[in-house]
Amino acid sequence: MIQDIALGLLISGVAVEGTSRLIVDIAMYFGLFVIVAMALNFQYGNAGIPNMGCAVQVIVGGFTVSALTTRLIFSIVKSSGVELMPWADDFDWVYNNPANVAMTNTYIADKPMFGVSMLLFSLAVALILGAVIGWIIALPAIRLRATYLMIVLITMADASQIFGRNVPAISGGTLGVFIPDIFKWYQGDRTILTAIIALLIGLVSFFIFRTMLNSPYGRLMRSIRENEITVGSVGKNVVGIRRNILMFASGITALSGTLLAFYFSYVVEANYQRAFWTYWPWLMLILGGPGNNAGTFLGCALVVAMRRVIIVNKWFLQAVFFFPIAYFESILLGVLLIVVIMFRPNGLIPEKLLYIPGVNYRKLVDEEAVVDWRGAPKARGASSGISGIFRTLGGRKEADD
Amino acid sequence: MLIPAIWIAALVFASELTLLSIGFTLTYLTAKVPNFAHGTYAGVGIYVSYTFAKILHMSPYIGFPLAFVLGGIFSVIIYKLVIGVLQSLGGGAIVLTISTLAIQIFLTGFIQIYAYYLRARFNTYAMAFLLKQDDFSVGDFPGIFIVSLSLTALSVVSLHFMLTRTKIGVAMRATAEDPELASVLGININNVQLFSWFLTGGMACLAGAMIPMWFMSTPQSGAAIITSIMAGSLLGGFESVYGAVIGGAIVGISEIMLTTWGQAILGPWVGEWRPIVPMIFLVAVLLIEPEGLEGAWNRFKASERGEKLLKSVGLMKAEA
Repeated sequence: MIQDIALGLLISGVAVEGTSRLIVDIAMYFGLFVIVAMALNFQYGNAGIPNMGCAVQVIVGGFTVSALTTRLIFSIVKSSGVELMPWADDFDWVYNNPANVAMTNTYIADKPMFGVSMLLFSLAVALILGAVIGWIIALPAIRLRATYLMIVLITMADASQIFGRNVPAISGGTLGVFIPDIFKWYQGDRTILTAIIALLIGLVSFFIFRTMLNSPYGRLMRSIRENEITVGSVGKNVVGIRRNILMFASGITALSGTLLAFYFSYVVEANYQRAFWTYWPWLMLILGGPGNNAGTFLGCALVVAMRRVIIVNKWFLQAVFFFPIAYFESILLGVLLIVVIMFRPNGLIPEKLLYIPGVNYRKLVDEEAVVDWRGAPKARGASSGISGIFRTLGGRKEADD
Repeated sequence: MLIPAIWIAALVFASELTLLSIGFTLTYLTAKVPNFAHGTYAGVGIYVSYTFAKILHMSPYIGFPLAFVLGGIFSVIIYKLVIGVLQSLGGGAIVLTISTLAIQIFLTGFIQIYAYYLRARFNTYAMAFLLKQDDFSVGDFPGIFIVSLSLTALSVVSLHFMLTRTKIGVAMRATAEDPELASVLGININNVQLFSWFLTGGMACLAGAMIPMWFMSTPQSGAAIITSIMAGSLLGGFESVYGAVIGGAIVGISEIMLTTWGQAILGPWVGEWRPIVPMIFLVAVLLIEPEGLEGAWNRFKASERGEKLLKSVGLMKAEA
């Protein structure tokens, strides 16, 4: 199995099939969803922003590839002398698309640098556009109650799909567009490479989020989640911080849509449904435990594996049910969400306290930090600063015992 | 015809949306939950009508009382099993909202399965249908035009009298204002909540039962209409039943008429963009006046009394 995947990654012509293909598929979707769910954890779990519009940002990532990267690749390829068919108006854009993509693929076949640079270009543009979308969706509702934000974000996810469906210039309307295979130069299995890239981006964003959480900014986020009025009263710009968090997380979420487009080599708005890219990440987040990256990873792995196994085995399961299995999936999603919210509101892995260098935060939270200087031992060498206070408290506790 | 067909469509849709918006607002007032599953109750109503018309071969209007009761029962079950339990566990607004979303997904799945079952069992077009031919007509008007307008007017008037004159209505308002104080005064909050959920669910299901009489319906129609409901409720002020009446009517009429006028002026492609109209309302209300018509009206009243004269000088000048 592992050998199959490794061989498929390295050598051309090795068929990755059966269970190996399922593993690659699960890895790819795990990479994609872990990016979305982690960004969601960053927003909801740590800053308390209920972003119900992940689908908007993911779709922006997909549209970046179909509308911008594809056009850029076409114009570069055309300027280097390949006779592409016209793609200027909507009709040509959709109907000449397969021929153009085929010609472009042969052009990319011997230019690895071109392919890689186009991947990086798409990721960078998706990051920026995602952040812009985050700013736009924050505009009407971020000052208001959380419920308003949820309502606006859910409707915006629908609106973005309507745009994709009715503006063929973006992603070919209902037909969708193929996008050039930027890994054509690579001899091994393209999908395995995409899966690895998705997992790598997930890992990198994990470290970015972790670093941000353990910085003073992370404490600020959690304090906004706990009590925004207090944070506002000590002079922090709550609305601005919320908007920044939403923008940053939106940018990261958009990367996932970009990778999905490259995985399929095809973009259509129906691939970016609201249920798929908003509700399932929320289930992962709540199942794993909000405010906790390890929990997000666990929830993501469980849910993605379950879904992919159901989808792959749907012909066997179909014999059991009299109705299409897709309907069962939505019932499963709804029931799981309610059951998790009711019986495990803190998720499988509960939230951890933040790491603050030099401070025993757990002690500060768990024990009642009563500062009674009369009972404290007198001579303490360095009883200045916060570490001195804790040493003093520790000493007092020993005396009590 | 006295009224053009498109205006009949607009008025029918507006009256359905008014019923739905009132229910959404009432739920928000009493339970403090924006109930995303509210549109899906309408989906249940749609299939009650369908079952009566196509499976039992009766007039769909016979099914309306059943739709009301069924929607109420669904709503009460949801309150008893999910929302009430979560509230007693201390779930916040966000958790409750997510749970209503989950209910919406769940219920939509069930409606889809039911529709699929009807199609497989009875070989009917249960996945996308219209019940116009099962309607009766009074003179030039289709029956649904009269029924929907009169039912909505009746509901609004009786709701007004219930909220202002009857004991349970006053208890509902008191619970909406301050649940703890209401319970101190001897109001059984649990019963009030149950009554309110039954009423809203029933009204939503009744409105849903009217939808396929004029509009194309699918299993997802109920879930799709929630944007319009929320736009209507938000335009009305989100916390005002009377605002929801006006807001639902405005959003309903403009959703159809703006699309029609747009199609006449700009071209047929505008029809595809109809779902955008309530979203524009939502965003515009949040940007311009987050408290909706209710807030605007309150400000207007306050300025007339001269209490907040300085704050609303512009308004005063416009009036004078």
